Amino acid sequence: MKPPRRTLLNIKYFDKDINPIYKVRCRWAVILLVMVFAVLLARLWYLQINQGAELRAKSENNRLRTLRIQAPRGKILDRSGRIIAGVKPYFNVCIVREDVKDMEALIARLASILNESEADIRSSLYLGGKQPLYMPIIIKRAIDWDTLSKIEARLSRLPGVVVDVVPGREYPYGDIATHLIGYLGEISEDDIKNDLYPGALPGDMVGKSGVEARYNSELAGTPGKRIVEVDVKGGLVKTLEEIPPVSGSDIYLTIDLDLQMAAEDAMKDKVGAAVVLDPNSGRLLAMVSSPGFDPELFAKGITAEQWKVLNDPFYRPLFDKAIQGTYAPGSTFKIVTAAAALQEGVVNEDTTHFCPGYFRFGNRDYRCWKAGGHGVVNLYKAIVESCDVYFYKVGLKLGVDRIAKYAKAFGLGEKTGIDLPNEARGVIASSEWKKKKFKSKWYEGETLSIAIGQGYNNVTPIQMARLIATVANGGTLYRPIYVEKIVNPAGTVTASFNKDPQGTVPVSKANLRAIQNGLVGVVQDNMGTAKECRMKDMIVAGKTGTAQVVRQTKRKEDEKMAWKYRDHAWFVAYGPAESPQLAIAVLIEHGGHGGSAAAPVAKKIFERWLQLQAPRPSDSPERTAKIKSLKAHNPNV
Amino acid sequence: MFDRRVLSHFDWWLFAYVIAIMVIGAVNLNSASMASGVHYQWKQLEWYGIGLVLMFLFTIFDYRILTSYALHIYIITIFSLLLVMFIGKSISGSQRWIPLGFFHLQPSELAKLSTVIVISSYFYNHEKAHYGIKDLIRPAALMIVPFFLIFRQPDLGTALLVLLIMASIIIVAGLRWTSVISIIMACVGIMPLVWKFLKPYQKKRLETFLNPEMDPLGSGYHVIQSKIAVGSGQILGKGYMAGTQAHLDFLPEAHTDFAFSIWAEEWGFIGASILLAIYLLIILRGIEIACQSKERFGSFLAFGVVAMLFWQVVINTCMVTGLMPVVGIPLPMISYGGSSVITTMIGIGLLLNIKARRFIFESRK
Repeated sequence: MKPPRRTLLNIKYFDKDINPIYKVRCRWAVILLVMVFAVLLARLWYLQINQGAELRAKSENNRLRTLRIQAPRGKILDRSGRIIAGVKPYFNVCIVREDVKDMEALIARLASILNESEADIRSSLYLGGKQPLYMPIIIKRAIDWDTLSKIEARLSRLPGVVVDVVPGREYPYGDIATHLIGYLGEISEDDIKNDLYPGALPGDMVGKSGVEARYNSELAGTPGKRIVEVDVKGGLVKTLEEIPPVSGSDIYLTIDLDLQMAAEDAMKDKVGAAVVLDPNSGRLLAMVSSPGFDPELFAKGITAEQWKVLNDPFYRPLFDKAIQGTYAPGSTFKIVTAAAALQEGVVNEDTTHFCPGYFRFGNRDYRCWKAGGHGVVNLYKAIVESCDVYFYKVGLKLGVDRIAKYAKAFGLGEKTGIDLPNEARGVIASSEWKKKKFKSKWYEGETLSIAIGQGYNNVTPIQMARLIATVANGGTLYRPIYVEKIVNPAGTVTASFNKDPQGTVPVSKANLRAIQNGLVGVVQDNMGTAKECRMKDMIVAGKTGTAQVVRQTKRKEDEKMAWKYRDHAWFVAYGPAESPQLAIAVLIEHGGHGGSAAAPVAKKIFERWLQLQAPRPSDSPERTAKIKSLKAHNPNV
Repeated sequence: MFDRRVLSHFDWWLFAYVIAIMVIGAVNLNSASMASGVHYQWKQLEWYGIGLVLMFLFTIFDYRILTSYALHIYIITIFSLLLVMFIGKSISGSQRWIPLGFFHLQPSELAKLSTVIVISSYFYNHEKAHYGIKDLIRPAALMIVPFFLIFRQPDLGTALLVLLIMASIIIVAGLRWTSVISIIMACVGIMPLVWKFLKPYQKKRLETFLNPEMDPLGSGYHVIQSKIAVGSGQILGKGYMAGTQAHLDFLPEAHTDFAFSIWAEEWGFIGASILLAIYLLIILRGIEIACQSKERFGSFLAFGVVAMLFWQVVINTCMVTGLMPVVGIPLPMISYGGSSVITTMIGIGLLLNIKARRFIFESRK
């Protein structure tokens, strides 16, 4: 392009007549212009007026977040108010996805800081993936202080990571009564689908077993909420509204922490269960299933390795053996056989049978545990020395159905009604039961096994505890109850203990006393099978039992057998015999003989109880009189 | 050189509209700055001041001198665009700025204005009643260089804007209808080919424009948030300084490309319409000036400036209301940016210049 060859400002060379055609074009331009602006205006009208309300809602949705404030969970305490499961802050590491710049890099960094696998982080993210992007997804729960300080120091370089403080459980006395207390776990998809925990959201911790599950709604309280304004990074700008949470109610159990700890201690390194009841009310004073577990594991997240240990097929730590485990009652069942025999008039206290060490029935010899035999045996001796032959004979006279009737009357083969999920029923065999179950008739030979507690019958430790409690209290069957009272945050007691008698056993006081005398002898008599439980300052009554795990043609020394083939050891006891305060059932899986394996556990519990009594029962003149009367019945004490 | 009649024919209305836009711009940037934490409003006021001085400077001299300097302006523009290529400062992937110490010059902004001058000058010097396709080869060859230099930065929006400004002047200069139709047909024919040559990210951008919800956190994010900002203003707006979309950073670039959105959010349909009305008044005034000019260069120049403003306003508002893909065209005077303010104010100065001199020729007759 050449510049015009005209001198500067030589204006007269410029054309002066404007072509009218430009004016036409300008008019077109104006029309076009107005049309375009009309379109723009229409667009604004559409967005701001037609869609205005909807888009306003979206902008509110952008800036407002409703955050839930978790309510502190109610505490679980023992009968005297000592905290078994308390509350402490847990620090959860969470990811807010919408704030994450580079998810891959973040996952890698978090994995190294938290010492987690990247796959675990990814699966947590996947599980929480359905929630809105601003909702924090929990990656790791309950991190320790070291990890917390590491994370806090790096928080500015980890966009999208937040540390949430939520109320969690603490166990000031350690892992005690874990099966009864239960554990907390993250609510599962199924739980939500079935609305098992009304009001709970994904990521919430809910009671999964035991008291935590049964009283979840009381313990959980009501979450509060906080409506906040946030910026695009999810950062808090200001709080607009806050509704504080209402914490959950405290639950006072009937558990006596001292007895519970004594029982835990006695059961350490053993596999089995121990149940302690107050025979006069049905209060559950202690309940142990061993081995236990660390309930915090579930709150922190369980590794595959830990899960394997928890589900060990032999030790079954998650399984509450006290209420879910069913075992043949062994010789402890002789209490039932004896009660039935006395009440049905098959024998009286003085009826004697001769024990040569075996009982021939049909063409088979049924052995007594004592190879040489017990000689002449009356009821007292039969109980004290646990003579099998005596009970074979008595059982045969009774027949299985009469035995079953009394067993059921003592609450065996029935749920005790303890308010916990998954209680086992067990089995009390009768001819009718066999007909139903196996479609075959009852053979009398089977009655012999039933009479001494072997065979089909299966009972739970808590059933046995209730049985011995019923014997101790003179015949009243109480439902075991573990809640003393529930106190809401305002301090009002909303529920309190009421004993729940479920009936009396159809056994006369005199007959029960005859059995009680025998049970005292089991411990106190020099011939008794539970001498291991004898105490200086207290008279204990009890009965040992040994439940066969495999049929043994010839009795071998237990120590030489593989653990899993060894017999289960039982011991049921109450004390003090003159005015029973404790009823205890102990089962040691594959423990061998009840007297040597199970009785010492009960003894430790009695000893602890005795220590706690003031003044000592031995100081009471009333007690001295009672002991005298007991001694009159038991010449060998 | 200075003619006193210029002052007596000064278009005070146009000046008033520009001041009104400046007031809105400053008020709006005050809110946008609060959101971003950087005080853009004060810097913008400085630019307004500098812009006003330049506006007056471009009013004083006789605009017809520019035809003599069109080549110089063209060469300087090309040179500055080349300079950007070599020493330019790059911000978020685009190399558009020349650091000048006190500010970053954006030559592509000035290129809009030089396009107006150069093309007006060209058609002024090659007078014809109607132009055919052959007559377009030389101006097209002229503009292809700045177009590609801007396109390469990359700044597709400004590059297309330069073409639009050129096309607008050509239409006014008088293009045969047959030529218009054949150009449009050629463009339509070339479309699928262009699509084939587009880079994946460019295709994605177009796709997101057609369906922003497809990628709400990625490339569709800006459009969605901007629509929410504009729409949530409803009739009366959320109130000044109370636009949550901008103040909580949901709205990106609230002080530059999306300044209109925060205005619409805080002042509602009423405020947005008023702002658009003022732009419309300025543009109508410009067209009037183009019509009133008694000679072709003035007409072309005025029309070119009008086209420059018009396309920027339309593209920017369409972009922030989701009618067009996001291409990064500022809203004149309202969007923060020194180069843009200066370019616009010089353009306004030229309009005032042309308006003031519309009677001069008659008087000399």
